[in-house]
Amino acid sequence: MATIPLLGISVWLIAKIFVLLGLVIYFVFALVVVRQVQLMTDTLEVGFEFPIRVLSWAHLIFAAGVFLIALVIL
Amino acid sequence: MPDIFISEEPKKENLKPEPHLSESPKTKTQKGKFSGPTHNPLAAFCYYPENINFETKEFKEKVVLLLRQHPITNVKWILIAILMILAPIVLGAFPILSFLPSNFQFIAVLIWYLVTTAFVIQSFLTWFFNVYIITDERIVDIDFYSLIYKEVSDANIDKIQDVTYKMGGVVRTLFNYGDVLIQTASEVPNFEFLAVPKPDQVAKILQDLRIEEEQEKLEGRIR
Repeated sequence: MATIPLLGISVWLIAKIFVLLGLVIYFVFALVVVRQVQLMTDTLEVGFEFPIRVLSWAHLIFAAGVFLIALVIL
Repeated sequence: MPDIFISEEPKKENLKPEPHLSESPKTKTQKGKFSGPTHNPLAAFCYYPENINFETKEFKEKVVLLLRQHPITNVKWILIAILMILAPIVLGAFPILSFLPSNFQFIAVLIWYLVTTAFVIQSFLTWFFNVYIITDERIVDIDFYSLIYKEVSDANIDKIQDVTYKMGGVVRTLFNYGDVLIQTASEVPNFEFLAVPKPDQVAKILQDLRIEEEQEKLEGRIR
């Protein structure tokens, strides 16, 4: 396994930390999407609110799932 | 005393009052005046849509028209999304990520699909929530610029000064959509209904509403 000279830390461990950090930021973004969809469906009701809310929640669950998978397998 | 002049009886059909646009269409002719789907929540041109509600809608206010950008404007992002979905499969034939360990390669693909999902959701929501509403009292422009920024502006019908619509280009002529530019005397001087279907009919509806509003003013029926 490749390590950084002097520090003796694995390159892939640093890569994992960065990936996880990115995924945490993405998860926050997915939360913002859910909140924004909630606000927008309150602003405008056209009878299509449920599928859109489901879509935003599915996106949030997908983001959380990818974070957990990355945490486990990396 | 014999009558010297007897005026003709006014024809009954002339006395029939013109239907007000602010009233929901009841007859087939009224409904068919401006054709368009009214029940589909994803339609881009909804004449007298049902079950529509928006934040600042007043109790007696009736939505005459709900507009979105023409569905054909979605083709670009749909094609990009298809390419993004197919990219890992196509690029799988080339060893682009081969320098990464297999677990990192798998996560990279998952992250790619996550970004694709975000792109699709953002593009769809931008189209879906970017609506223009014409009610019997005002015009409302709901702009959903991105997932973190929105803007809602409105102007009363009687504040409208000028309505211009323009269509240009092959695609716009083919699919009958264009921009409707509305100049108002309100705080927001310009309203732009961009890439909306049937801009001529939109302009006609606005003109009818303006005439009706003026009539209401003259008759003292202002709400």
